[in-house]
Amino acid sequence: MKIDNSLPLEYSTEENRLKIFGFWIFLGAEIALFATLFATYFVLVDGTGNGPTGEHLFKVPTLMFQTIFLLTSSFTIGLGINAMRLGRQKATIGFFIITLILGLGFLGVEIYEFVEYVHEGATIQTSAFLSSLFTLLGTHGAHVTLGLFWGTFIIMQIKKRGMTPETTNKAFIFSLYWHFLDVVWIFIFSFVYLKGMM
Amino acid sequence: MKELFPRGQVMGFAFSLVLTLVALSVIMFDLSLKMGVIILLVTAFMQAALQLVMFMHAGESEDKASIYTNVYYGLFVALVTIFGTMLTMIWGYQ
Repeated sequence: MKIDNSLPLEYSTEENRLKIFGFWIFLGAEIALFATLFATYFVLVDGTGNGPTGEHLFKVPTLMFQTIFLLTSSFTIGLGINAMRLGRQKATIGFFIITLILGLGFLGVEIYEFVEYVHEGATIQTSAFLSSLFTLLGTHGAHVTLGLFWGTFIIMQIKKRGMTPETTNKAFIFSLYWHFLDVVWIFIFSFVYLKGMM
Repeated sequence: MKELFPRGQVMGFAFSLVLTLVALSVIMFDLSLKMGVIILLVTAFMQAALQLVMFMHAGESEDKASIYTNVYYGLFVALVTIFGTMLTMIWGYQ
């Protein structure tokens, strides 16, 4: 395997570079997936039937907690990759752990919010609006959940094998996934919550 | 310690917090729907671009052109899906 030492470790072989590019193509498909869910939501947003509307349901505090958690986690994983490029293994793992804790915080608030909704009589079966809302938020939440497991395994591998071209490549690709989830959340934050509360 | 917090990323994070606050203004002030949506569009796409360039390092490898082509293509598909759906399901009937 040819290792080019002038590049960051995660890019150092051709295979690594192609894996990163391949993941970008996957993210392109993910953009399309979330676009269909957003399109469904925008069409059905007024189909509230006898159930509550978004204006009734959405609350600023839970929204801000979720947003700050995810935004900050996106920043800390960026710092993790920066530390990885400096060859600082301990710092890398530290930033990754902080990232996952913030992700867990996000997920906790989201689950709390879902329970609140159901208590207010807003279930996934109540109205077309709520079906599309829960599908959109749930798909994003499921991605975050998967990311928590993925990130945990990445940390374990780095701990066990050190920072090799393989482990740094995996960590970098995981960081792309995590940033992407933050991007999706920004659109949910803007066009589901804030627009719904206007 | 300082090298662990590169200036660019810290600034990027601060900027993303500012954008979040600007987006929040649409529910703080009594704006028209049109004005609100315009503000949200601007802040959301700026946030997304910030993530892409600053944190995802989209432009740093030799695959830069392919990566951006792929992202723009994804974005194109997304916009056609969303606006096409709005046109056929809602706007077409008004």
